[in-house]
Amino acid sequence: MLIPHPLLGPRDAQEFVCLGDARLIERPDPAAADAEAAFCDYVFLRDNPAGVHRELWFHEHGDRSWLVVTRDTVTHAVLGAELARDVALARVGRAP
Amino acid sequence: MTDLIPVTALGDATPRRFSAGALTLCENDAVAFASLALRRGAGRPAPFGLALPGPGGWAAGQGVAALWVAPDQWLVEAEGRAATDFAATLGQAAPGCSVTEQTDGWVAFEIVSQAGPQPLEALLEKLANVDPAGFAPGRATRTALHHMSCYLVRRAAGHVAVLGARSSAGSLWHALATAARRLHANAA
Repeated sequence: MLIPHPLLGPRDAQEFVCLGDARLIERPDPAAADAEAAFCDYVFLRDNPAGVHRELWFHEHGDRSWLVVTRDTVTHAVLGAELARDVALARVGRAP
Repeated sequence: MTDLIPVTALGDATPRRFSAGALTLCENDAVAFASLALRRGAGRPAPFGLALPGPGGWAAGQGVAALWVAPDQWLVEAEGRAATDFAATLGQAAPGCSVTEQTDGWVAFEIVSQAGPQPLEALLEKLANVDPAGFAPGRATRTALHHMSCYLVRRAAGHVAVLGARSSAGSLWHALATAARRLHANAA
């Protein structure tokens, strides 16, 4: 399986470690009133879709970057990859 | 005072060499390493007049060279300066950057081919996940070699450097030398 690294081009999946659902980027606000319930969901609850899934992948034997890889869990097709840093910054409305 | 005996990463008194056919492996104990990282929002420096390369690149200048290791981070090499405090020198040449001494963390093995790029590319094909077509001189990549994370640097068409963790220098040398010897034995 090849991961289309945004900086380095296609790299073998063996160089990466998969860390699971990319929603881990969306860490709840610990100061919010419902923080306990939000963190319970954040830590323990995961969707398990049959189809398109966004996951965090770490390029361990590479440039040590975190990627958000979009993958189809049914066909194993890799649909795209972006730097997790860019995804996280776009989420809070800042340019990469 | 304690009488210390300097040894190379492989534990020898002098750098180890090994030849198999057209390929020569040589431990490079003279090269100094320092990591150079930019602070957030900082401009890209040009230490010692060296133009720092982009992703997957390696660039050589006057006595120093740099390979891209991560966004806004490079590993800077200085040939023949392993016994000096190269990190301090680099820190002065790149003010405002984060510089970390790396010489003692790495081992460098230089693999030179006397018969052009073919034997070298055949060796790399056996050892690591690199595409020879995309690994021209001036390219550097990090990948796994026998489960060890290494940087491969294409210094010239017939010259590749393998930079690995010093703690696993013996295993890395064994992997490289064994592959080179078998490649030569199979070709003969």
